[in-house]
Amino acid sequence: MRDQIAKYAERLLADRSAAPGGVAFAAQDDVLIAEGEPGLARLAGDVLASLSCLGLCAALPALPFAEFLVRRAGPGESRIVPRDTETRTFLHDIPFLRREELSTDPAARIARLLGNRKGVIAEGIGIVANGAVTVEQAYINYSSVFHAAFVKYLLDLLNDGFLLPGEEEAFREFRARWLKPLSAAGLAFRAGPLEHPEEVLDEVAAVGRYTVGRGLVDSFFGNISYRIGDVIYISQTAASLDELPGRIDPVPSDNSSTTGITASSELLAHRRIYEAGRARAILHGHPKFTVAMSMLCEETGCQVTDCWRDCDRVRYLADTPVVAGEIGAGGLAKRVPPVIAGPGKAIVYGHGVFTTGRTGFAEAFEAMVDVENRCREDYFRRLTTAGR
Amino acid sequence: MTVISPTHGWRGRLLHVDLSAGTSRAEEIPGDLLRAYLGGRGLGVRLLRDSYTIDPFHPGMPLVFAVGPLCGTAAPTAARLAVVSRSPLTGTVSDCSAGGRFAYRLKAAGFDALRIVGKSPRPVALAITPEGAEVLPADGLWSRTVGETVTALSGRGSVAAIGPAGENGVLFASIMMGEGNAVGRGGLGAVMGAKNLKAVTVDGDRPTGVADAGRFDRARRDVMRLFQASPVIFGELGIAAYGTPALVDLMRQRRMAPTENFRKTVFDGSGNYSGPAIRKGYGAKNDGCFACPIQCKKSARDGRHLPEYETVSHFGALNGIADLHAIVRSNDQCNDLGMDTISAAATLAAWGECRGRFPSPEDVERLLDEIGHRRGDGELLALGSRRVAESFGKPGLSMSVKSLELPAYDPRGAYGMALAYCTSNRGGCHLRAYPISHEILRKPVATDRFSFSGKARIIKLAEDANAAVDSLVACKFSFFGATLEEYAELLSATTGEASTPQSLKEIGERIYLTERFYNCANGFDAKDDGLPGRFFREPGSSGEGIEVPPIDRARFDEELQKYYRIRGLSASGTFADPDFLSRQP
Repeated sequence: MRDQIAKYAERLLADRSAAPGGVAFAAQDDVLIAEGEPGLARLAGDVLASLSCLGLCAALPALPFAEFLVRRAGPGESRIVPRDTETRTFLHDIPFLRREELSTDPAARIARLLGNRKGVIAEGIGIVANGAVTVEQAYINYSSVFHAAFVKYLLDLLNDGFLLPGEEEAFREFRARWLKPLSAAGLAFRAGPLEHPEEVLDEVAAVGRYTVGRGLVDSFFGNISYRIGDVIYISQTAASLDELPGRIDPVPSDNSSTTGITASSELLAHRRIYEAGRARAILHGHPKFTVAMSMLCEETGCQVTDCWRDCDRVRYLADTPVVAGEIGAGGLAKRVPPVIAGPGKAIVYGHGVFTTGRTGFAEAFEAMVDVENRCREDYFRRLTTAGR
Repeated sequence: MTVISPTHGWRGRLLHVDLSAGTSRAEEIPGDLLRAYLGGRGLGVRLLRDSYTIDPFHPGMPLVFAVGPLCGTAAPTAARLAVVSRSPLTGTVSDCSAGGRFAYRLKAAGFDALRIVGKSPRPVALAITPEGAEVLPADGLWSRTVGETVTALSGRGSVAAIGPAGENGVLFASIMMGEGNAVGRGGLGAVMGAKNLKAVTVDGDRPTGVADAGRFDRARRDVMRLFQASPVIFGELGIAAYGTPALVDLMRQRRMAPTENFRKTVFDGSGNYSGPAIRKGYGAKNDGCFACPIQCKKSARDGRHLPEYETVSHFGALNGIADLHAIVRSNDQCNDLGMDTISAAATLAAWGECRGRFPSPEDVERLLDEIGHRRGDGELLALGSRRVAESFGKPGLSMSVKSLELPAYDPRGAYGMALAYCTSNRGGCHLRAYPISHEILRKPVATDRFSFSGKARIIKLAEDANAAVDSLVACKFSFFGATLEEYAELLSATTGEASTPQSLKEIGERIYLTERFYNCANGFDAKDDGLPGRFFREPGSSGEGIEVPPIDRARFDEELQKYYRIRGLSASGTFADPDFLSRQP
């Protein structure tokens, strides 16, 4: 347990989602342990003690976006409903507690909300997330709340501008200090085409690490594959892309074996993309600005109400097509392959980006970086244009 | 006592049938009990409160069929029921969940549960309608196969029937639903047979309403979205496509497919009965449970029900048989005779190892028939692997826990599974905590299958959650995608009463501890929570970069003690508080 806590506390700092000195985890086996920042650790332990869960994470986000969302929420509101796919599919919504609600017995109030949801925003405290089965799950849920709050805040700013004292300064600080220039510089890719499984396994693992390292995906989301002949080597479901050794499934195209039942939920999409074009490598991430910008639709008079599922239009962000489609068997595998073959990149509404490489991963990785950079630029241009 | 709405979720009534007296009556179920135990397994266990020490074959032992509050709604995978009694094979409290239309129709007849006590002086069938129960003579059906019985009663709605095995007291006799679903484990078919009850039919047309249709639809869409996002469920290599035999290749690759009575963990011939092989050989069309979007049960082109993963693996690898057609034939035989395929195949494997020769496909065909009719070698084999192995003076060759034969996941390949086999209240069962979900299938997240770290707590939490799932009643496979979060929402929308994952897990804990209390009252304790010694002494089949060592007994024991502490039990696995039960609703 303690090694798990140490590992995921480190990850929160490495991915810069939590503030240094503002992380705590609790876990219960036959005894309850709580480690990290003393105040948060005490809270984490108290909350977990009244939940039927194994792990819990309480941390102060490195960015104040979740806090701002709570403070921007209208009176009487008690939850935020981000529109990104991670929230829609796994979190549903994110309840919050205002500072005044936490003045007495905060642990009990937080526990009551976490008895029904995976994560909660506690104003003045941070994000508290549970892990039903593992400590890792608490980290994943924290990460998803952070991601969802990030994306929602970007969109809310475009729509409503800065509303709170200090908000604009904080955002400027975020842009100047937290947001790093994004590039593929300094990363080594094999040129390809790769012909040997050992090479592929090594390269897929390396590129998975790059994808996480450059912030193009959060926690255990995203997936990656490479094709040699009739076999697709694809990351397993629920595998962190920076921990792929031993977690890559070889899947034969004729379905003569079902060992790939543990492969990524996007196996079908990868397979159809390979069938539809000349790709040898596929990379899928959830870069935040791209996710946010994919949901800016300027259609008027549209009758579609479930944009994630039902929109059959192909829109463009710069030269990258944007399509709808839910995870796995939910339609993404049908809509992405027809549009990705030419440009080698496609955005899925509210979800993330697929990019391809014709021989190796360099092309796919650079394409993903390029898409995210263009979305960043477009976002800040729109923000400026809107007078924010 | 508080009142529940009889139209939203629960009916609030059970049908009590006394076969000795030939009478029946409808009884109100207090709302507080339904809230505290939900339905299905939980309600059934609660309804045994006054009889849990009775011998399973005694007329006074109830046999309970119970549905859940989601049954009859459009909640995915919820048209299921639990059958609950005390197992003649294990002596433990025993429940078994099954799909088919029977559950839906029992609810539509206006009942949450059917409780049967007594023993008819002659073979009978029960016909349940909204008006109550009619006891029908069934002398002409006695000794008939399940298939023949279902056909004979098909005009009366849905059928649950026993075959010759149940009539003859085979300790692992099943109750078969007319659609081919089995109440397989624990020998509850023999309990039914001991009551001279050949079959139950149910018919009804009363709809189950939901309190908040909009909320229900949103929750249902959330569930379906998660199903679609799950590679195990709707992935192109998942169980919707290939049925549970999709696991054959995976278990082979993970080197944890029990082979030759668990002497090995890899069987070279397993490719002959893999999901793709079955599809190629038989077509494998969807023939799943009523109102289930997953449709993991498959049937052949000619309509025969095709075997599940456990069945193909145990009639295959466990007995060293690689002939798919022979395996399908064994499945057919068990279904028609009314026998649990896992226990039947595992008992044959134990018998084979005791004798020094595993049965050939031809032997299996003969022996299954002899078991079902309790003649020849079947007289002994009908008692299950523990008694068979003991009769040979080789008790260690029964690969069972609490006399329930282990299913097709070798515990040396998944340490949470090793622990969960032992803490399961109905004996060596994979479904109580279902750690295969995270140790192998990576859902909801992956855990290290070769580590005990954290497993005691994980198993406890999963047992509680699954006790709630079995009481809703929903299918475990739903939780390869969805979570209790979405099902709590479905329940809230259905009943109009607030439910959360946390409240469901607390209900599950109550159910689990009640079962454990019953078992302890019948003499079970830590001595019964152990694995066969083989798993601590002999390695599995290592290779391909995967080491499968024997399980470290000291580490296992340490984790079991942790589990007891987490459960609030004594070091011997018993209740320090003798009044525990009296404090439960």
